[in-house]
Amino acid sequence: MDASRRDLLKSAAILLVDQWASLRGRAFADELSGAARKDERKIIVVACGGIRRAETFDDTGIGNISHLYREMLPRSVFYPFLRNAGVTSHYNTISSILTGNWQRLDDWGKTPPASPTVFEYLRKLLELPQDDAWLISSNKALSSRIGASSIRDFGPRYGANVVFPKQLLINAVIRAASQGHPEHSADRAAMQSEIEAVLLHTDSYEGLDWSVSGDASLPDLRMQSSMLQAIEDLVRTNAPITGDEFTFLVSQEVMRRFAPALLVMTFSDVEVAHFGSYSMHLAGIRTMDRLVYELWDMVQAHPTYSGRTTIFVLPEFGRDFDGSSNNGFFNHRSSDDSTSLTWMMCLGEAVQTTGVVEQPVQHIDLCPTIAGLLGLKPLDLPGRSLPGIRMGSGTQ
Amino acid sequence: MMDTNAQARPHDLDAYRHLIERLPVTLRPSLNQQLSQWELLFPFELNRLAAFMKGVQAFSPDALDALTGPLNALEMKMGVKQWNFSEASDTIENASLLARSAYYAEWRREVQRVFEAINAAAIDSSPAHIESTRLILLVLPRSLPVDPQTIWRKWDPRGHEIGISGDSERLSELVTQGQLRPTGPAAMQAQPGNAEASDLWLIEADGKLDGTLSSLSPFAVTCLNYETLKPFRDRFLAELNKAPKSIQVTDEIISNLRRESWDGWSLWPPEISGQPRLRKFVIDLYLSGNGALIFSNAFVEWAACEAIRRARPRTMVARFGMRSKPKPFTSIAIFENQQRVSSLPDVDDPENSAVDAAILAHYTWLAACRYPEGEQAICLCVSEFLNSAYLVAPAGKNPGWSPGRAVTPEEVYAWIAAQMAV
Repeated sequence: MDASRRDLLKSAAILLVDQWASLRGRAFADELSGAARKDERKIIVVACGGIRRAETFDDTGIGNISHLYREMLPRSVFYPFLRNAGVTSHYNTISSILTGNWQRLDDWGKTPPASPTVFEYLRKLLELPQDDAWLISSNKALSSRIGASSIRDFGPRYGANVVFPKQLLINAVIRAASQGHPEHSADRAAMQSEIEAVLLHTDSYEGLDWSVSGDASLPDLRMQSSMLQAIEDLVRTNAPITGDEFTFLVSQEVMRRFAPALLVMTFSDVEVAHFGSYSMHLAGIRTMDRLVYELWDMVQAHPTYSGRTTIFVLPEFGRDFDGSSNNGFFNHRSSDDSTSLTWMMCLGEAVQTTGVVEQPVQHIDLCPTIAGLLGLKPLDLPGRSLPGIRMGSGTQ
Repeated sequence: MMDTNAQARPHDLDAYRHLIERLPVTLRPSLNQQLSQWELLFPFELNRLAAFMKGVQAFSPDALDALTGPLNALEMKMGVKQWNFSEASDTIENASLLARSAYYAEWRREVQRVFEAINAAAIDSSPAHIESTRLILLVLPRSLPVDPQTIWRKWDPRGHEIGISGDSERLSELVTQGQLRPTGPAAMQAQPGNAEASDLWLIEADGKLDGTLSSLSPFAVTCLNYETLKPFRDRFLAELNKAPKSIQVTDEIISNLRRESWDGWSLWPPEISGQPRLRKFVIDLYLSGNGALIFSNAFVEWAACEAIRRARPRTMVARFGMRSKPKPFTSIAIFENQQRVSSLPDVDDPENSAVDAAILAHYTWLAACRYPEGEQAICLCVSEFLNSAYLVAPAGKNPGWSPGRAVTPEEVYAWIAAQMAV
């Protein structure tokens, strides 16, 4: 990625997080972090959409995941048999990961999860503030309802901040076209103003389907000098800007400023597969591979995270097999292993011993594992804590 | 046979509706949808639906109850009666409700069991089918630099690579210009003069082949061209993009788009405008997703797969093509029309178009293999860039060209023509 393009996305991400931070009177996490906060464990979950083993941890796919395979696998606990035994749609799978229960909800996020999310357990039982729980997603199939369940004793007051940065970009592109100036989409400076306009000229976050600070109010928008600088740096290129790249940059800014205990990122560049471009699907896998490596690098380098952070990386599911009646890689509807069997990698502080755990595990095992790592007593959930993970004292 | 079935209404269609009422609820939407579009079904679909109904009729009421009892019981457990489940047609909500049921996998197995039993009964009561050799020609044009190391790696081990000497582009010209006329029993199945029920389908990304069609051919040709569909596609995409993030509202919009006549817009290309069955085929194609509205190669693949499934043509020629590079920002709104949302000129993306086309050509053949006709099909996938092709011949019909010897397009064509004349 060229530097100017990266600068643009980074500046936009900084702008977003600045707005939340200024609204809430928050400074950088580093400035706020006391000794107690620095001792806290941190968990980052990266869910990467639908990716088949054939395009990743198979002989045919290793070339797409050079960072994961060469640099991160040797440092990880690797689970080659991660089973999605639920509904292989995005909203249901992410909800299942978050709740430790297989969810069977409206696929397009019309209803909240039917059992408490790990965000709610953490916030209610450990009295964590909302800044400690974030879900930042590229995926349009999710909705802000995913941050908290419909359970009365839990619910939105214990929910996570939910942000869809890609939706901001999409709205900006559509706005430019609908207002009769598609040329803006070819010009980074013009797009910058379109992005700002979407933020400035909406009545609430609802148009973006975000849930930040537990409400949908519009933050006080202020242009930042870094954004102005980035606009000046724009160059006209044809290089694509991806939703996952922007999601990652926003996530980085959230990490820097809020240092949340639990951050869930979901990528979705790979979902271009639904439109039938295999090359763009593979490009999405390579982008994910690079971004996860950059995340790992950041975690190692940043004192707030180094030595106390555990990262889980997993596809939500696979995709349908070549020759399936669902048109192969395009979709993820079949119950075949190509779709329901995938992998997971755990890196960082909680890794007991690096290696491969051949024991089958499930997506719903992640919730009780995260809860245990962050100090909750065992929850009554169908999922089980993952093997090979070093839990905190008194939790397991 | 098509006419017999097409003229079956209204009495037979009413009888069919009554038969459908005897089937479990979750089997009804697809069958009712087909009945409601009877005049717009392809001959193969008409015959298959009529045969299926014959199969249902072959069961006594008690036997049908016994057959469908487990599925009915499963629907009770799933709570289908409490769902907002459309019996009139397949909907996104139907699919979503079924897929998120805890009994979904079991339901799929039961549906398959019931269909297999009914189809078996239908076959028992139908005359023997005449099989003839078919051709699936998949063309990766010279502009697509496919990787010679991997291009044929995943292909059917029954086949083999052949080198083509001379101009490999000549091969598709020979097929489209030529006289792949069936003789003997196969001729009985041909559909002279009926473009909507034609034996030759030509589906392409960029309209390079339809100019090579022989006007002398007695057999009508069905042509679908991604480029010439652009005015209709753009309009259709704009309408579809109005759908909000709601399954129910999207189903409503899709239903309206299906019902819309689209005749008043003058958007259809001439080769389709007078053919309601083909217009319906294109609309169904666009509404079933799979990228047919967005990428030319996805359109070619999905149109070819659907044509093979629904029309079972004797000859399918699918020619892939070039897509443009994604543009800044518009790539994140991939469902949008790039030309509408960006003023930057399109720039070809040959390497990635080749990656897309290679796997999609393979998928087209894999789709054909799912049907009995696939066993009688010659599949020839030609890379004009490599002057190479992969040939899968029906059992016992291998041409026997010695390995390593390149063959001319004329030799390949002559062999195909000889097989198809039988």
